[in-house]
Amino acid sequence: MSATTTDTVSYLDNTGDDPTVRARLVVGDNDFHSVTEKVCGIVERPQPKLWWVVFAISSSLTLVLLAMIAYLVTTGIGVWGLMIPVGWGYAIVNFVFWVGIGHAGTLISAILFLFRQRWRTSINRFAEGMTIFAVMCAGIFPGIHVGRIWFAYWLAPIPNQMSMWPNFRSPLLWDVFAVGTYATVSLLFWYMGMIPDLATLRDRATTKIRYYAYGLLSLGWRSSNRHWHRFEFAYLLLAALATPLVLSVHSVVSFDFAVSIMPGWHTTIFPPYFVAGAIFSGFAMVVTLVIPVRKIYGLQEIITTRHLDNMAKIMLATSMMVGFAYSTEFFVAWYSGNAYEAFTFMNRAFGPYAWAYWTMVTCNVIVPQVFWMKKFRTNTILLWIAAVLINVGMWFERFVIVVSSLSRDYLPTSRGYYRPSIVDILTFLGSFGLFFTLFLLFIRFLPIVGMAEVKGVMPQAHLDRPDHRGHGDYHGDISGTEVLS
Amino acid sequence: MSNGAENAGLYGYLARFDLVDEFLAGATQVRDAGYTRWDAHSPFVIHGLDAAMGVKKTILPYIVFAAGLTGAAAGILLQWWTNAFDYPFLISGKPLFSLPANIPIAFETTILFAAISALIGMLALNRLPQLYHPLFTNRSFKRATDDRFFISIEAVDPLFDPIATRELLESISGRPIEEIEDQP
Amino acid sequence: MSSMKAMTYWRSLDELEQTTEFREAVRREFPNDDWDRLPPATRRQFLKVMGASFALAGLTACRWPKEEIVPFAHRPEGRTPGVPQRFATSMEIGGAALGLLVTSFDGRPIKAEGNPLHPDSLGALSAVAQAEILQLYDPDRSRRLLLREGGQEYVKDWSEFESFAGERFSGTGAGVAVLAGASSSPTLAALHERFLATHPDARWYEYEPISRDNEREGTRLVFGSMVRKHPHLGEAEVVACFDADPLFDHPAALRLAREFAAARNPESGSGARLYVGESGYSLTGARADHRVAVASSRVPALLAAVANNLVAEHGLELPAAAAGFAGATDHSATDDERHFVDLLAADLVTHRGHGVVLVGPRQAPAVHALAAVLNYALGSTGSTITYTADPSPDRPSHLEAISDLARRIRGDEIESLLILGGNPAYDAPADLDFADLLAGVPVSIHLSLYDDETSRLCTWHLPASHHLESWGDGAAWDGTLTLRQPLIEPLYGGRSAIEVLAIAAGDGPKSGFSLVREGLSERFGFPISDGFWRQALHDGVVGQTAWDTVAPTTNPAQLASAVDGLWELLEAGRPTAKHAELVLVPDAKVFDGRFANNGWLQELPDAITKITWDNALLISPATARDIGVSDSEIASVQARGATLELPVYVLPGMARNSAVVALGYGRTAAGQVGNGVGTDTYKFRTTAAPDILSGVTIRGTGRTYALATTQDHFAIDTIGFLERNRRVADLVREASLDAYLENPEIIHEQEHHPPLISLWKDHEYEGEQWGMAIDLNACIGCNACIVACQAENNIPVVGRQQVLNQREMQWIRLDRYFKTAQGVTSDEVDDAQIVFQPMACVQCENAPCEQVCPVAATQHTTDGLNAMVYNRCIGTRYCSNNCPYKVRRFNFFNYHKELADTTKMQFNPEVTVRSRGVMEKCTFCVQRIEAVRITARNDNRPITDGEIMPACAQTCPAQAISFGNLNDPSSEVSRSREEHRSYAVLAELNIRPRTHYLARLNNPVEGAPSSDDGAGGHGKESG
Repeated sequence: MSATTTDTVSYLDNTGDDPTVRARLVVGDNDFHSVTEKVCGIVERPQPKLWWVVFAISSSLTLVLLAMIAYLVTTGIGVWGLMIPVGWGYAIVNFVFWVGIGHAGTLISAILFLFRQRWRTSINRFAEGMTIFAVMCAGIFPGIHVGRIWFAYWLAPIPNQMSMWPNFRSPLLWDVFAVGTYATVSLLFWYMGMIPDLATLRDRATTKIRYYAYGLLSLGWRSSNRHWHRFEFAYLLLAALATPLVLSVHSVVSFDFAVSIMPGWHTTIFPPYFVAGAIFSGFAMVVTLVIPVRKIYGLQEIITTRHLDNMAKIMLATSMMVGFAYSTEFFVAWYSGNAYEAFTFMNRAFGPYAWAYWTMVTCNVIVPQVFWMKKFRTNTILLWIAAVLINVGMWFERFVIVVSSLSRDYLPTSRGYYRPSIVDILTFLGSFGLFFTLFLLFIRFLPIVGMAEVKGVMPQAHLDRPDHRGHGDYHGDISGTEVLS
Repeated sequence: MSNGAENAGLYGYLARFDLVDEFLAGATQVRDAGYTRWDAHSPFVIHGLDAAMGVKKTILPYIVFAAGLTGAAAGILLQWWTNAFDYPFLISGKPLFSLPANIPIAFETTILFAAISALIGMLALNRLPQLYHPLFTNRSFKRATDDRFFISIEAVDPLFDPIATRELLESISGRPIEEIEDQP
Repeated sequence: MSSMKAMTYWRSLDELEQTTEFREAVRREFPNDDWDRLPPATRRQFLKVMGASFALAGLTACRWPKEEIVPFAHRPEGRTPGVPQRFATSMEIGGAALGLLVTSFDGRPIKAEGNPLHPDSLGALSAVAQAEILQLYDPDRSRRLLLREGGQEYVKDWSEFESFAGERFSGTGAGVAVLAGASSSPTLAALHERFLATHPDARWYEYEPISRDNEREGTRLVFGSMVRKHPHLGEAEVVACFDADPLFDHPAALRLAREFAAARNPESGSGARLYVGESGYSLTGARADHRVAVASSRVPALLAAVANNLVAEHGLELPAAAAGFAGATDHSATDDERHFVDLLAADLVTHRGHGVVLVGPRQAPAVHALAAVLNYALGSTGSTITYTADPSPDRPSHLEAISDLARRIRGDEIESLLILGGNPAYDAPADLDFADLLAGVPVSIHLSLYDDETSRLCTWHLPASHHLESWGDGAAWDGTLTLRQPLIEPLYGGRSAIEVLAIAAGDGPKSGFSLVREGLSERFGFPISDGFWRQALHDGVVGQTAWDTVAPTTNPAQLASAVDGLWELLEAGRPTAKHAELVLVPDAKVFDGRFANNGWLQELPDAITKITWDNALLISPATARDIGVSDSEIASVQARGATLELPVYVLPGMARNSAVVALGYGRTAAGQVGNGVGTDTYKFRTTAAPDILSGVTIRGTGRTYALATTQDHFAIDTIGFLERNRRVADLVREASLDAYLENPEIIHEQEHHPPLISLWKDHEYEGEQWGMAIDLNACIGCNACIVACQAENNIPVVGRQQVLNQREMQWIRLDRYFKTAQGVTSDEVDDAQIVFQPMACVQCENAPCEQVCPVAATQHTTDGLNAMVYNRCIGTRYCSNNCPYKVRRFNFFNYHKELADTTKMQFNPEVTVRSRGVMEKCTFCVQRIEAVRITARNDNRPITDGEIMPACAQTCPAQAISFGNLNDPSSEVSRSREEHRSYAVLAELNIRPRTHYLARLNNPVEGAPSSDDGAGGHGKESG
C-alpha cells in the first residue's frame, strides 16, 4: 500500500513525514538485480572523465603533502608557525578535525544499526570508507608533529634503547591507544560488511585478475545461510563494540585538552562537546561527498532524498548541541569565578582571534538553522553548500580551541600570536589530497553501497505471511536480532 | 539407506529459487525431511530463514566476551607493570599506580581484543577463508550473490538418496535440479 | 709536540688563504651588505663557513701557553684533565678595571664570573662583562696584520711591522700622534711616559665616546681641582638621582647595586628612599619611590628648584660663592615636579648627612657642580659620598682631545697616527668628519680586535689580543690595583696595547708578561718577589692599593663660573612636539658599539623595552599622540642637519616630547653578527651637543618595522591590556615599607583561592630538597642572570627572525610589567611604574609538564628537581603548552649545527648541547649541584648551605637569588621562605613551585603618593 501512496506523490520523493505512510528506502522500480547492476556497474564500467580530473588534482596534492613532510623531517618543526607559547598549531587542529570527520562512518554503521535505522544501509559503506580515510589523514599529524619524528615509536609500549616505558598518565598516550583501536575496529567493521559484496563482484568478474582479486578478498564467501547467521551476529557484536568506541575516541581526544591546566582547555564538558562536534562534522562530510557521488553514478534511487533529509536533521540536532556547548563554556567561565577562565573566553570572542571565533559560530550554529526548512534539507545544492560551510566551521572550532587558548594563558608576559607558515597550509591541503585520492580509489575498486544490506530492506525481500514479524513492513527486522530474541 | 560408491564424485544437488517465499517454504520442507548436511544460499540475509532451517544459535558471543575480559586485564596489567613496577618514576607527585588514569587505555584494549576476536571468531566458525568450494563450479550458482536463492543438499548426508532427494528438491523448487560434481 | 702544534696551526692558516670560502669571506667582509635583511639562517651559515674555512682543528685542541703544551700522559703538575680551574684576571671598560674569575676547562676559558676580592665586582658581573667571553671566540675577529696601500691589501706579519715601526718611530716624534682609549693601566701609563720621553714632539690623545668627563669637570668647578666621585648607598637614607643611573650605568654599578639592595632590606636596611628625575626610563628609575619624568634639558631646572627650595624653605646654608645656585624659580614647573621637589627637599634636610644627590654623566658640568655643592652643604661628603684625587688630572676631556687631534690632522700636522684600540671612525662626533680625516693621514696604524670601520681607513691594521689572551693591569674605580693574566694563548696571534706601545716607544718587541711585571716593580719602586707576584696573580688584585680619599674644599673662583653656567642652562625652554628633545644614551648591551658582534648581547632583551637586535626611538604614549606616530612606525628624525629613520617604540614613563635612542648600532664593519643591526645614531652626535639635542623634528613615515621584542609592546588590544594590568598586582606583589612594617601579612591579604588539597596522598620529599627564593625587592632587572645562564648552559643564539617568531631560547625571562591605574586603556596612559620579575622554571612539585609527557622525558628527581631528560625527549611540546609559566624552550631548528668551531670552544662540557626537536629549560644548574654533591661525598661530609650556586644566583649583583636545601630549616632559602614577604606565583594552581618570590617594598614618603600610585597604585584590592 505504501508503495502506491508514495508513488502517487512522486516517483523519487520519499521524504513525506506522514506517519501513516511508510517511506520507501529504495525508490523507483528496482529489483535485486538492478541494485546489483547499479552498484557493481560503478566498479565494472570505466570511470567518467570527472573521476580522472579529480584524481589528478588530489593525487598531486598528495605529493605536496609528502614533499612538505620530507621538508619538515629534514629541517625541523621550525618550518611551521609554532612558537612559545603556542606549541600546537595546524598539526593538532588538523588531527582533531580529521578524527572528527572519521566519526560519521562508524556512527552511521554502528549506532544507527543498533537503533534499527534501516535507512543507514544505503550510506553506511560509503561513510565507513570515509571514516577509514579520515582516520588515516588524522593519524599522519600526531606522527609528524613531534620534534624528533624518528623517535616517535617511543610512544609505543615496546622495550627500546632507553629500556624505558612510556608514561601512561599522559593523555597523549591514551590518544595513541584510542585512535589506534578506532582505526583497527573501523577497518574490521568496514571489511567484514564488505565480504558478501566482494563475493558479488567476484561472481560477476569478467577478467581473471578481478576474479582472483575479489575472490581472495571475499574469502570464499558462498552466501550460505549458516554463514549469514554468524556473520550477522558478528556484525551485531562489532556494532555493539564500536558504539562506545566512537564515543570514547573523541572523548579521549578531548582529554588531550581537558586534562591540561590551560584555561580554555581544562573544561569538563569537553568529552560530550567533542563527540557532538565530531558527529556534526562527520555527517557534514558524508553529505558533502555523497551528493556529488549519487549524482554522478546515478544512485539517487538508492541513496534517496530521504537519506539526505535525515542527515540534515541530524546535523541540525548536533549543531544545536555544539551551540549549547559554546554557550555553556561561557556560563562556566563566568559562574566558576575563575578569572583566568573568564578572560580566556572573553579573549576568544573579542581578542585577537575573534575573527576565527565568529567564523566558527556562524558556520556551526547559524548556518545549520536553515535545516528547519525542508527546502534546504532536500535541495541538494543548498544542502551541499551548507555542509561545506559546516566543515569549515568545525575546522575553525578546533583552531579556536587549540590556538586561542594557548596564545594567552596565565602570565601576560608570555603571550603570542600564532600565524601558520606556508608549510602549515600546504600540509593541510595535502591531507585533503590524500583523503580524496583514497576515496576515489575506493569508488573505483570497491562496492560503495552495501548491496546485500540494501537488498535486505527492499520490498521483494519480505513476505506477507501473518506469522512473520515485521508484517508488511519494508523495515522488517533482521534475522540477527530475531535470533537474539 | 546408505550412500555408497554410486555417489562417488558427487558433491550434492542444487535447487534454485526465484522468490523468497518459495525459498523459505523449500527450506522448511528440507528441514522437516530431516536432512542435516544441507544449506540454503541467498544474496542477503533473510529473516525467518534460520528458524526455517533450524540453525542453532552461535557461540560467538562467549568468545568475544572472553576476549574482552582478556583485553581489560592486559590493559591494566601493562600499565601497572611498566609504570609502577618495572621502571617506576615520579611524575607530578602522583601515585605510581592509580586506576583512574588507567581506565581509558584499559577500555581501548578491551574493545580492541573483543572486536578482533569477533571477526576472527566468525571466520573460524564459518571455516572461512575457503577459497575453493564445489558449488563454485556451478555457473548458475553465481547468481546466489545477486538475485537468486539456492538450496543444496550434500551427498554425504545420511538421508541422501540420489532419487528421493532429487524428487524432493524438484518438487519444492518446481524446476529440474543440478548435480554438483566434487572434483578431487 | 708544541712545535708540531704550531706547525699545523700555521700551515692551516696558509692553506686557508686559498680556500674559496676564504675569498668569499673577504668579499662579504666589505661594508654595506645588509645582514639585517638576510635571514639568520644565512648569518649562522656564514659563521659556519668562516669557522670551518679556517680549519681550526689546531685551535680547538687544548691551547695552553706553549711551554706547557704536553700530552696528559705525563701531565703537568697540579692539572687534572676534566677538572675545571678558575683564574683571577680582569677586563677594562672606559678606564676602569673590573676583576674577573674565569673558569677554564682543559685550557679553554668557558665562563667569566666576578672576582669577590675586587671592590667594583664583589663577585658579581654585569651582562656585558660576562658576554665578553663569547667575543674571545668570535670567528670574525681579525686574524692577521693588514697593510692597505693604493687600494691594495697586503698580509703582513709582526716582524715586518716591528721593522716598519722601528724606522717610523725613530726621531723626536714630530708629526707623530697616539690616540688611545681611556686606560687605568699603570703599565700603559709608564709606557706612555716613556714614549713621550723618547718622542718629545709626539702628541698623546685619549678618546672614549662614553665618559664621565662632565662629572670630572664639575668637581673641578667646585673644588678647583679634579677629583673622582664615589657614591656609597649602603647607609644612604635618601638617594636623589638626576638623569643618573647609578645602579647600572656607573663604573662601580655592581657595588652600588649591592649596597642599594642592602639598604632596601626592610629588617636591616637604612631605607635608601629613591628619588629619580629623568627623561628616559633607567633601571634606577624603575626602582624609584618617587619618580618624575622631565626632559634631560630640564633636569638642571629641577635640581636648581631643589636647591632653591632647600635654601628658601629649609634655610640650608650654601657656601657664599655658591649662593647664586639658589633663587632660580621655575614657573613652568608642573605639579608633579613641584611635588617632587618639595618632598625631596624636605627629605634631604630631615636626613642630613645620610642623603646623596647624584647627577648623570650626560648633564653639563655646572649641574654636577651644583650637586657637589648640595652634597657638601648637606654634609653628605665623607659619608654617602667620598672623593679621591683624579688619576690623570691634567688630561683634557675626551671631546677636547679628539677635537684637537682632528684640528691637527686637518692642518696636516700629523704624519703618523697610532690608534690603540677604540673605533673613532665610527664613534667620533659627527661634526669632526673624523673618518674622512683619518683616510687622509699618511701613516695610520690601528690596533683592534676586529678589522673594523677605523681599520678599513688606516694603512696598518694590527690584530689585538683579547683581554683573556694577554697580560695587563689596571685600576678599579677606587684605584685598587688589578692584574690581568691570559687564560689562553692568543687564538689569532694578536698583541696587546702595551706590547705594541712598547714597540713604538722603542723598547722593541717585549712580552706583555715582562712589561707588566716590570711595570709593577716600577710602581712599587723595588723589584717584586715571586711570592708577591704569585699572590697578586692569584687574587687578581693587590690589597690596600685603593687611592686615599680626599676632603676637598670649595673654590670660590671656579664656583662663580659654575653658577653662571647653570643659569645659562636654566634658560632652556621645554621641548615641544614640534621641537622635541633627543637624548643619546650608551646602549645597555653593546655599550658604545664595541660589543655589536656579540650574539649573546644582541639577542639579550633590553631590560625596559625587551627589544633585541635593534635600537629604537623611545617616546612616551602622549608624545606619540602629539607627534602623530604609532608604535613600530618608522619615524624620520631630523637633528643638527642629520636625518635618520628609526622605528618608534612607545614607552610609558618617558618625559613629554623627549625621545631617547641608544648609540652603538648600525655598525658596518663589526662582523657578520653586528653588521647593519639597528641604526647608527652617532650621526647625530656633535662636539657641541654630544648627548642632549634640542629642536629635533620627528615625523612619522607611515611605514612600519617589526621590532623583535620578547614581550608584548605597551600598546596592545584593549581587552588584553586591561587583563594584563589586572593580573600584575597578583603576580608581582608590592607594598609600601611602612604598610608592611605595621602589617607584615599585607602581602598575602590579596590571596583568594580555595584551600589547596590534593586528590591523592602527597609525595614525601626526603633528604636534600632544592629550592630557590628570588627577592623582588633586591632585583634591579640588570639582565646579568640571563647571560650567566646562557654562558653556563650552552644556550644558543637564534637570530632576529627567530626572536620575531617568539623562539628566543634564554632560559631566564626577565618579566617586565608596567603598572598603570586600573581600567585605563593603553591610549590613555602616559606614565607607568615598571616592576621586574625574573622567571625561569620554578620546579613545581606537582609539575603540570610531567604528567602530560607521553615518554616521561621530564620527571621528578628525588631531590625535587623537575628534571629534563634531553635524550629521551621526542618533542611533543605538550609540556610547554601545559606550563603555566611558559618557561620551557624548544629547539625548533638545530641551532648549533652551523656554529664556528671557535665558538664551540666556549661550550660548557658539563652541559648537554641540545639537539633539534628537543625541549629544554632551567634545572637549577643541576650540573653544579652534582659537582658539589660529588665533592661532598668524596670528603664524606654534608653539603653546606650556599656551597651550591646556580649561575644566576652567583652573578646577581644585588644578591636577589638565594638557593639551597628546603629541608634544612637553617638554610638561607628556608629562612627567606619563612619571611612574610615570601609568596609563590600562581600558587592557586596547587602546583607547588619550588621557587618563591619575596615581595617588593617601595619606600615612599609616608602619606605622600608614591610614583606608582600616580600610575595606578599597588592594586592590592584586586587579585
